[in-house]
Amino acid sequence: MSEVQRKKYSEQEKSKIFDQEFMPNIDSMYNFAYRLTFDEDDAKDLVQDTYLKAFRFINSFEQGTNAKAWLFRILKNSFINDYRKKSKQPAKIDYQEVETYYNSDDVDYASTTDLRVDAVKDMLGDEISNALNSLAVDFRTVIILCDLEGFTYEEMAKILDIPIGTVRSRLHRARNLLKDKLRSYASTMGYSTDEEE
Amino acid sequence: MDDNSTPSGDRKLSCSDVSKCFQLLESILDGENMPNSQEILNEKLAKCEPCFKHFHLEQAIRDVLKTKCTKQSVPSELEASIREIIQEKK
Repeated sequence: MSEVQRKKYSEQEKSKIFDQEFMPNIDSMYNFAYRLTFDEDDAKDLVQDTYLKAFRFINSFEQGTNAKAWLFRILKNSFINDYRKKSKQPAKIDYQEVETYYNSDDVDYASTTDLRVDAVKDMLGDEISNALNSLAVDFRTVIILCDLEGFTYEEMAKILDIPIGTVRSRLHRARNLLKDKLRSYASTMGYSTDEEE
Repeated sequence: MDDNSTPSGDRKLSCSDVSKCFQLLESILDGENMPNSQEILNEKLAKCEPCFKHFHLEQAIRDVLKTKCTKQSVPSELEASIREIIQEKK
């Protein structure tokens, strides 16, 4: 193992970390897993697998650091390495294109949207959820981590193994895509989506 | 936000540096603290209509995501089954 060997925890310490730092995150972990897989059994497997790995590698967890971020990183890696392979989904999902785009300075902050604040506030939970779920997994993931789970850009960068600048731009792009989805819901709800009253 | 009451006529209608401003506003909304962020924010919202609109829409998006996205409840047996497997492996 290339990883620096940290001090070994005693069995008692391991149990304490597992119970007090790992297990309290099970709700968030399951929600994340479910929003990645859209399947209860797959989400269960993914969470279970994550906790088993977390226990197996508990010596590489440094007490006092963010356990939730550490666990999310394991879950994300398990999803990419195991679940995506198993499910025969194309793992590439234009990732290269995505990265090339994001690492350039071409993020279009100037693009305006005619989505209205009132329309957004009136959206039903299901509509928000469906819009989020319809995004490609890499975009969905950053929104989940930031808005649903409250991770900072720095924590997200570590969880996703990408630079902070990429977190920021991917998040911006993800929210723009989400706005596009919400705008189409808004127009079917009869909201005027232009700027006029 | 109370800025909603400010008449839009007082703000300039185009933003000279949209990319930089919007990126900054989004970072502030995401809780990334930076020096003078509150002052910068107040200034933008008071003086720039595109920034004002962008900020409030972005804020609304974040609010509905935080408050309305339903949480999937964890299957009751999951925690027990994880503990069981770990016990077996010990």
